[in-house]
Amino acid sequence: MKRFESIEDMADSVAEVVGAIRHTSDLGTIKVYVERERWREAVTAARDQAELPFFSWLSAVDWTNEVVVGDPPAEEVEERYEVMCAVSNITDGQIVILSADVPKDDPVIDSVMSVYPGADWHEREAAEMFELDFAGHPNLVKLYLTSDFVGHPLKKSYALISREVKPWPGTVDVEDMPEKPVSDAPSYENPDA
Amino acid sequence: MLDQNMIHHLSEAAVAIELETPDMTLNIGPQHPSTHGVLRLVARVDGEQVYDVKPVIGYMHRGYEKLSEVRTYPQIISLINRIEWVSGYANEIPFLVATERIMGLEVPERAQFIRLILTEMTRLSSHLMFMGAYPLELGASTPLMYALRERERVLDLVEGVTGGRFHPNFNRIGGVKPVAGAGPMQKKLSQDLPKGFLEDTMTVMDQVLATSDEIEDLVAGNEVILARTKGVGILSPEMALAYGVSGPNLRASGVDFDLRKKADYLPYDQLDFETAVGETGDCWDRWWVRLVEIRESAKMIKQAVEKMPSGPLQAKVPRIIKVPKGETYVRAENPKGEMGYHVISEGGQVPYRVKIRSASFNNISIMPPLLEGTLIPDIVAIMGSLDFVLGDVDR
Repeated sequence: MKRFESIEDMADSVAEVVGAIRHTSDLGTIKVYVERERWREAVTAARDQAELPFFSWLSAVDWTNEVVVGDPPAEEVEERYEVMCAVSNITDGQIVILSADVPKDDPVIDSVMSVYPGADWHEREAAEMFELDFAGHPNLVKLYLTSDFVGHPLKKSYALISREVKPWPGTVDVEDMPEKPVSDAPSYENPDA
Repeated sequence: MLDQNMIHHLSEAAVAIELETPDMTLNIGPQHPSTHGVLRLVARVDGEQVYDVKPVIGYMHRGYEKLSEVRTYPQIISLINRIEWVSGYANEIPFLVATERIMGLEVPERAQFIRLILTEMTRLSSHLMFMGAYPLELGASTPLMYALRERERVLDLVEGVTGGRFHPNFNRIGGVKPVAGAGPMQKKLSQDLPKGFLEDTMTVMDQVLATSDEIEDLVAGNEVILARTKGVGILSPEMALAYGVSGPNLRASGVDFDLRKKADYLPYDQLDFETAVGETGDCWDRWWVRLVEIRESAKMIKQAVEKMPSGPLQAKVPRIIKVPKGETYVRAENPKGEMGYHVISEGGQVPYRVKIRSASFNNISIMPPLLEGTLIPDIVAIMGSLDFVLGDVDR
């Protein structure tokens, strides 16, 4: 099996094999962006031609500007789901994340269960958490949640119910640290910082 | 009620005709002594023969991925060591490395070595638990006593440094916790490893190595255990890779893949160790690989103690941790397998999204094909050999 000089070389090679739109290799993570229509084809090429037999995980991100929980993105983003599939080889253990954008009004993407059978549970999880549909998955029922559960918890529009019922005891959810300790109180400053 | 003649008649009938054992659905769990937590198996059986198993999970789903979107980075560290409580300390490492990588922090070498020693001690504690619990499931109760005795010694060491046995919460972004407590008095006290820790570690590691031989004698010489594990639940390397089975379970199938050798999240490259690789991928190999890993971990800890560098324990970090925009996936070799965090930061105090990749989730997704065609007693033998924790499955 071929080894690469650097992570950039490997990123270039994988991107060419799977027919990527663009690719990045920042912070030690190779990310390869492909079109949704070519999702299964690209994942198959990653396994067979790019020689990445190890299936690590599959999940999604809800990209949205209006969030109910957490902080919104720093800059305005295009409203979409990003489906990611992480695979790796076993010679040098470099992970490759394949990524495809799925529009929110038509959240359908091909299932890759026929390529990596381990994607079964991961797709079921992504489907229940993000309201995604994996076309070709034989049994896309809920995995963690009960069958009568309403909503898709990992969507940014889904509020944390515990916070609705009982608000966070602080003034805000995530409080800033005080700039200086109160005068006479013992100091909790980190001496090394 | 049946009278004596009737019983005689029935037993005659049972001998004369072949027993009809039609399709029956057998529920194992959610509470069952052999499932290590709340896992339900719906097995379709014909007599003793199992021909379809569906694991039902989610009884422990705590939504850590959602919670991570409303918690600051330091708060998340105390959450994620509860994912897999048998090796809580090791869970924190990939998340910390991911955060530090996005922030561009350089962790001091001494802190990295302390992290490495504690991670390997967690591996010892997790594997020793398996060394004892697995034979117990197969009917041999003695190895448990030996294994837990050593596990206590290892956990005492962990507790001496961190103050906790299961959820140490000892890591900080940029290093390890530099003071034993907070407040003005503590500043004057020693801000490092407890006195005598390194010497005690060397002694305990020698004891662990000696006990690993005892356990091997007890188990490898037990014909009942050998008969129940050898050739049972064979997992082929191709299937293991396609399902994302990792860690000792993958290596037992003959795949030489250890992230301690391949990834660069802790200074493992400075240590000399070997990876244990099995041959057939049956239950026995999965037990044996973990036994060898105990020995290798003990040797690694001894080497790390000898090479322990001096220096600070904490990089310079601001008091309010703000992580710049960035995205990375860091994975580490947890005792159970590959544990990884895909952290997406959009700048600010809370991550935009954290995908948690836990080892046991993939490791038990192999169950339906692996258990098909086996016998009911083998379910326990195979399930136990996969060494999963339900908290790690459900997250």
